Amino acid sequence: MLKMTHLSKVYRTEVVETYALRDFSIDVKEGEFVAVTGPSGSGKTTFLTIAGLLETFTGGSYHLDGVDVSHLNDNARSKIRNEKIGFIFQAFNLIPDLNVYDNVEVPLRYRGMKAAERKKRIMESLERVGLSSRLKHYPAELSGGQQQRVAIARALAGSPRLLLADEPTGNLDTQMARGVMELLEDIHREGATIVMVTHDPELATRAQRNVHVIDGQVVDVAEDRVFSTSQLAEHSPA
Amino acid sequence: MQIQPILAALRRHRLATLLITLQIALACAVLSNASFLISQRISRMHAPSGVDNAQLAEVSVEGFAPDQASNVNARMLAMLRGTAGVSSAALINAVPFGDPAANAGIKLDPSEQGTHGVMHFYVGGPGAFQALGLKVVEGRAPQAGDYQPVADFTPKQAPVVITRALATSLWPQGHPLGKSIWIGSRRFRVIGVVKGLIRPAPFTSSNRPAQGSIFVPGQPGPQLVGRYLIRVATGQMDSVLERVRKAVRQMGPQVVLDEAQTASVESLHSSYFQTDRSMVALLLGVVAALLLVTALGMVGLASFWVSQRTRQIGVRRALGATQGAILRYFQTENLLIVSAGIALGVVMAFALNVLLMQYYEVPRLPLGYLPVGALALWLLGQLAVLSPALRASRVPPVVATRSV
Ligand SMILES: Nc1ncnc2c1ncn2[C@@H]1O[C@H](COP(=O)(O)OP(=O)(O)OP(=O)(O)O)[C@@H](O)[C@H]1O
Ligand SMILES: [Mg+2]
Repeated sequence: MLKMTHLSKVYRTEVVETYALRDFSIDVKEGEFVAVTGPSGSGKTTFLTIAGLLETFTGGSYHLDGVDVSHLNDNARSKIRNEKIGFIFQAFNLIPDLNVYDNVEVPLRYRGMKAAERKKRIMESLERVGLSSRLKHYPAELSGGQQQRVAIARALAGSPRLLLADEPTGNLDTQMARGVMELLEDIHREGATIVMVTHDPELATRAQRNVHVIDGQVVDVAEDRVFSTSQLAEHSPA
Repeated sequence: MQIQPILAALRRHRLATLLITLQIALACAVLSNASFLISQRISRMHAPSGVDNAQLAEVSVEGFAPDQASNVNARMLAMLRGTAGVSSAALINAVPFGDPAANAGIKLDPSEQGTHGVMHFYVGGPGAFQALGLKVVEGRAPQAGDYQPVADFTPKQAPVVITRALATSLWPQGHPLGKSIWIGSRRFRVIGVVKGLIRPAPFTSSNRPAQGSIFVPGQPGPQLVGRYLIRVATGQMDSVLERVRKAVRQMGPQVVLDEAQTASVESLHSSYFQTDRSMVALLLGVVAALLLVTALGMVGLASFWVSQRTRQIGVRRALGATQGAILRYFQTENLLIVSAGIALGVVMAFALNVLLMQYYEVPRLPLGYLPVGALALWLLGQLAVLSPALRASRVPPVVATRSV
């Protein structure tokens, strides 16, 4: 589904060149739930923005769903973002001028979907996140957890194959974070591929696989069973 | 296709939207009315006079005693006809765009209540009709026996030649020849119709039609003296008038040149429309300033909104908006705002017109001027929003993940 080989990303400013990613390789299979962890500034967000075609990379290769994306033009990249990828951001990123319904509708409109089909999908995905009674609310009138659930509904409405989440629970308290995490697990069970960046080791353990990034490189790819078992061993009272 | 969410977002910015809409409405109202007034003035300036403005001139003298009339006329005509470059000279009471001489309300029947408007009576001596170069379209020009003595501005009765426009308005069914026009008990019989002859001071009021001119043949004498029409060969106007001024100065202290009225019809035309030209310049200035302010307002607001929405533009890009979609968003938004402004502006344009009609002699605003204002503002809006919209379209999608 998502395959990066020896990928690098350099940010150039007048004074310095920062290697945000170097020799970065990862292969996420269809239907996987991968958690990406790592210290601050290690390149997790950079990885996610390149994976989501929000940014180009400097070297190496990236195949998304079997397609080499390095030569695609801006319109083609927009189309892939719209059809194949769902984004969930730490800061929710709902459009403040639009109500819940209109927010979820945004990606569907860019897809040129008919009004009836849009409505059906909006209602379904809002139902899914338990917010179908808040259609007319504006983001400012919702709690953080509710806003993130709207953002998830927006990401889900277009039935993307790949969900990219950058610290989706970073701005939420534990209880709301748990709700969001359960939602992501449900979505994963229904077949979506999910890549989630998180700081929270507890959340990371709930993913199938953990990828640890340090200084722009994948240092340790722990298989979920191994990781979970060791975690369980550590936490087990016996 | 994006209209509903754009309107939804605008509802969240009511005050700014309302203010810019009002500004556009005001611009639309002023623009429609100003362009109407401007084109009205310009069309007046270009109204055909019916004569060759560049080749005709009036020479006016004063200062002599009434009993000197025949003497002055004889000496002046002799002098004018003898001046190099003058092809003909004749007595006349007024010329187009000069001082009017004889305005009178006319009737088609002495017993009629009210008049058919106030017309100007051009009283001309022998040769004046020919010197004017009027084109007869019906009937005939005045002949030798038609010239009657002038008593109180016009002959007591005389054959006259009228303009085609006047003939049509007085007798819509046609056949003006032989019909009579009355001023009080004075009767004038129509013997000919000319293509056109503008009155001396046209466009002063609606009951004084610009083509409301009646040519009356009159005998030179104490009441037709001192004003002369000359026809001058092409390109010689200035030198001829210079020679004439010099000659009049040599005629003695009883004959004094009226400087203001001694001029070519062309320069009389130019002075006559001086205020209209200033008015046009002023209105153009107002229109330009208003368009500039409106454009700046739209650029300013669009720029502000683009900066304010940078993050959501990035989010939209992340969710699949192409650069073109972002560009169209801001263009459509501007189109909607300008259209609302125009809708309101149309109402305000008519209100302004009604106001102008009450205080000035301004006709009703023709509907055709509304699209002029509307089109200008639509174009202006699209132009104004282009640069901010392009800037918006270049916001990179990565803005969505990098919090500011
Ligand atoms: N636009 C940019 N210009 C220059 N350097 C950048 C830019 N964006 C990111 N970087 C640098 O790239 C590196 C990786 O940043 P990134 O945001 O991917 O880290 P992160 O792992 O997401 O950190 P955090 O956990 O704090 O979110 C950092 O050193 C950062 O300073
Ligand atoms: Mg980050």
